[in-house]
Amino acid sequence: MSVQPDRQIADMEGGSALPRKNGELVFDAAWEARVFGMTISMHERQLFAWNEFRDELIDEIGEADRTGSDSTYYERWLEAFEHLLLSKGLISQEELAARLEDFESGRRDDAF
Amino acid sequence: MNGAHDMGGMHGFGPVVREEDEPLWHADWERTVYGMQRAIRARGIINIDESRHGIERMPPAEYLAASYYERWLSSLERNLVDKGIIGEDELVTRTAELAEHPQTPLPQRDDPELRRLMTDQPSGQELYQREGPAPRFAAGDRVVTRNVHPTGHTRLPRYARGKRGTVHAVHGCYILPDAHAHGRGEQPQPMYTVSFEGAELWGPSWEPRERVYIDLWESYLEPNTEESGA
Amino acid sequence: MSGNHGDGHHSHPESAVALRARALESLLIEKGLTSSEVVDQVISAYEQDVGPHNGAKVVARAWTDPAFKVRLLADGSAAVAELGFGGALIAVVENTPSVHNLVVCTLCSCYPSALLGLPPTWYKSFAYRSRAVIEPRAVLREFGLELPDSVEVRVWDSSSELRYLVLPERPAGTEGLSEEELAALVTRDAMIGVAKVQATAATAGQAAG
Repeated sequence: MSVQPDRQIADMEGGSALPRKNGELVFDAAWEARVFGMTISMHERQLFAWNEFRDELIDEIGEADRTGSDSTYYERWLEAFEHLLLSKGLISQEELAARLEDFESGRRDDAF
Repeated sequence: MNGAHDMGGMHGFGPVVREEDEPLWHADWERTVYGMQRAIRARGIINIDESRHGIERMPPAEYLAASYYERWLSSLERNLVDKGIIGEDELVTRTAELAEHPQTPLPQRDDPELRRLMTDQPSGQELYQREGPAPRFAAGDRVVTRNVHPTGHTRLPRYARGKRGTVHAVHGCYILPDAHAHGRGEQPQPMYTVSFEGAELWGPSWEPRERVYIDLWESYLEPNTEESGA
Repeated sequence: MSGNHGDGHHSHPESAVALRARALESLLIEKGLTSSEVVDQVISAYEQDVGPHNGAKVVARAWTDPAFKVRLLADGSAAVAELGFGGALIAVVENTPSVHNLVVCTLCSCYPSALLGLPPTWYKSFAYRSRAVIEPRAVLREFGLELPDSVEVRVWDSSSELRYLVLPERPAGTEGLSEEELAALVTRDAMIGVAKVQATAATAGQAAG
């Protein structure tokens, strides 16, 4: 196993803490784990600093709380991650929209 | 039961082998067995004592040859069949079908309620501790374990039967595994940590200054009325 | 326990957000920004990362807060609950210059999972289960730990739902370290009792394993 958990990620505290139960990470659906994995895999490649993502996450959580949204932790994570990818130019708005269209229409059905 | 699982003090297993960076799961199916076990326990279909006893009932040669998750799988199969939840025939037939057609897609079912049960785990206190009778023994009491050899489930290891020890700690009442594994209810009893000198367990000990501490239920113990004894 | 990630077959309607996640992953993979294998590895690594760090926090707190240590040794379950690990049945046993503790489960493989995660394969092995109670010093020697005859060895056979955690001795030379730095030194093996905690960060490289 070449991945060692990064303590600054695993041990985040406060509102941005990873959801856990008895110390174990909790993913309510498979997609949540995938999104988690994607974000960290790109951080491992040094495509962004952790605090850059974490700041986005904190902002997203704050915004959601302010508007009384009932979105879940990983829904907010996904928003934050997309935001980060776009602001760093790693993906473009057009690419993202087009790919989503591909999947929604059923033209593509890749699974992971 | 005096099964192969009760291995404290056995000889011949060689050195303790350690893998350096061992993976959590050696194969995909192990993860599935772990998941099934968790789901079934969350639902209360099989309790932990039945689970353990299911493993203990494996024929000794099978037990010793099986991997850790193979033992869990065996226990699941044994208990589910014994409880009539799956039929032995069904298991045999389904296994044969899948062996013939390994590409058969597995049924998929989403069960948010089950997922909630699995993540909202009750505490150890809720699962295992109960109100029960006042303890018979106190810390410091000299006790002797009964020399009993039940054919069913027990947590009194063979190496500690008929041995003299001292009560180290008195805990509250816990569900009695000997009853709970066999559908005889919880029958909570006071539970104790009892210490034994190495020499008491193993004879003139070849290792100096050793004590073994074991958690034992009250029905495993009698007062030690001798003058001597550990 | 995570969801059944990795299953490629969707025969039931998935949520909009799950679809969105799949779309994103496909895009990132095509752009070479990640791979599904690495995503799998990350998930696994973090899923495994339950526990030695939980136990290490408990140990570091006991080393730096004498009142907490007293509570920890008197009632492990209540004390670890103070640190957020409630719901576990825990008994903590302290190593001293004259007493060394070792934890085993001879009958199966009971282990303080809430604090240490899933047990290592060797802990579940027949060799460890059979030998820890009858020749603990020989087992410790195999782990590279030699104890003088003057030290009493106490072996705890975890036969009930109460789970045992060893409170290792705090190594010399760590006086200036913060609680967080101390926790980083505490290894899983030290909390089972097959190792002692080392003062240097270099040997804490074994901490996760």
